[in-house]
Amino acid sequence: MRILKLQKNCLFPFLEAISKEAELWAPVAKGDKFAFDRVADFSRIAMNATRTIIPAKKIMVPANFNMFHFTEKGYKEDLSHVTDRILFGVHACDIHGLLTLDKIFTQVYPDPYYLEPRKRTMILGLSCWPDEHCFCKSTHTHIVEEGYDLFFTNLESCFLVWIGSSRGDDLIRLVPDLFDENLTEKDIKTYIQWQAERDNAFKTEIQFVRLPDLMELNYRAPFWEELGAACLACGSCTMVCPTCNCYNVMDKQFLGEKPGQRIRHWDSCTLPEYSEVAGGENFREKKFQRLKLWYTHKLQAYVSKYGKPSCVGCGRCLVTCPVQINVKTVAAALEGQEPEAFWKNLAKEATR
Amino acid sequence: MEKEKLKIGIYELTGCAGDALLIVDCEEELMNIFKAADIESFLMAKSDNRNGELDVALVEGSVSTEKEKEELLDIRRRSKVVVAIGNCACVGGIQAAFLDKKDWEKNFKKVYGTIAFTHTKPAQSKPIDAYIRVDHYLPGCPIGKEQFLSTFARMVGGNPPELYRFPVCVECKWHENDCLLNKDIPCLGPLTLAGCGSVCPDHNIPCFGCWGPTEEANLTSEYHLLLDKGFDLEMIKKRMANYSGTRIAEFFAQFRKEKR
Repeated sequence: MRILKLQKNCLFPFLEAISKEAELWAPVAKGDKFAFDRVADFSRIAMNATRTIIPAKKIMVPANFNMFHFTEKGYKEDLSHVTDRILFGVHACDIHGLLTLDKIFTQVYPDPYYLEPRKRTMILGLSCWPDEHCFCKSTHTHIVEEGYDLFFTNLESCFLVWIGSSRGDDLIRLVPDLFDENLTEKDIKTYIQWQAERDNAFKTEIQFVRLPDLMELNYRAPFWEELGAACLACGSCTMVCPTCNCYNVMDKQFLGEKPGQRIRHWDSCTLPEYSEVAGGENFREKKFQRLKLWYTHKLQAYVSKYGKPSCVGCGRCLVTCPVQINVKTVAAALEGQEPEAFWKNLAKEATR
Repeated sequence: MEKEKLKIGIYELTGCAGDALLIVDCEEELMNIFKAADIESFLMAKSDNRNGELDVALVEGSVSTEKEKEELLDIRRRSKVVVAIGNCACVGGIQAAFLDKKDWEKNFKKVYGTIAFTHTKPAQSKPIDAYIRVDHYLPGCPIGKEQFLSTFARMVGGNPPELYRFPVCVECKWHENDCLLNKDIPCLGPLTLAGCGSVCPDHNIPCFGCWGPTEEANLTSEYHLLLDKGFDLEMIKKRMANYSGTRIAEFFAQFRKEKR
């Protein structure tokens, strides 16, 4: 793996060159948050963005898209939403999120609707600085060893650029003169210092290694029902989670001659119809049962299958859930603590 | 041989007729609607209305008189499938948002005084499923064009409607909006049925709940959350009651039980 140096003022010329190859997408400001969007004007790119509202999964599996058109005679696949893309500014946690989705969508049942955009999207990672909600150091997803074509570490004086694939190398070769192969000792020192400072900047820490056992031991703990009582069942935690991948399909029909569409949209295990079966029976009728399922999946079940949690520490559930049901407060409850959270206060209110 | 067309009737009880109007307003699809099915009765759109057997009856509005109740029972008897369309038919609408009969009687007197009703007897407004079995509910105030057309097309194709049962938040997140509740704006998205395309939050306007509550609407949690954020108790109650129809009574009953 080669590491090159790129001067700050060479970034836009580089983006200019590569955006001729494919659509360039990057985080831009959306209100006081951020979102991945197609960019032509590079000054829109939020270089110091924190997490985007929705992670990079939306590029691979859009929230809502047509899988195929159908008539009484047959069907025709629709991949018209897939284009060649370069996704710039992907943080380490989101790269790990995509690697998690790879396991789910490409191994046992390879999903063509995931594979196609995944194949046609280049990932250009970008280093970031944790805010108070980031805990990717706890999930060991603050660094990446794979899953990117290029990775930019944003140092004060320059970028260090990791080449992670031959496709990434091809991008460099479009404008090789912009890059410097010779890293000085000072560059290396600056990087090491940056990494140490960044690692010390995390304010949220969760002991994930303890959580599978604590999930098991707390399976009947009363706090689950407290969570269920406060949960708005809005599904937002699952929509914003980089590793949530569940979907539903619906057939949309039209009047006249227009062919039907099979729409695939994001679904959520925290919604009541998710666990409902024909005849109206529901395996997880209560909200707390569904929440427990979600946390079992994230913190315990995935660990026993893949050796690590399916949480990448991005902090999206922390900033999204209006009643503060999130990995941080649930982990605290699992540890036997009383987290500062609306759901905990609501439980106290109810028993008053 | 041409397939026999479905016989469909569209009816309006107490409401603003906004749902019927929305159907008329589907201008580009209007020809297709009338081509795809035999529209037996549709007071707003045609004059030669028949009251015969129907495959599907679409009923708008709540029941607020004895006469409407009779009409509704007759529609049910004549129809294989009944679909409640719009917030009034689904949950009772704004006119049903009184907590108990006494409140309603007081309000009724305030509005109508001692006028004698000769042609029918007024009753407290209720959703249509207070009197008949309803097969499907198409929510909205008014119903949405896209959801109406796809529901209509599915039924014409011989399939039951496939409607979202989840709250507005899901669509709102599909559109990558930043949560308004988290910005201390009193949004009813978590309580309200999706299908509208989260149009209001998409434009930074909080959800007012016009598609009515979801089956699992957690009114208690949202109520306390808004109180916590410093909103006025009466404002919260009013906003929640607005489009919840008779469902709001369940909430206050639940709330009183908790407080006891």
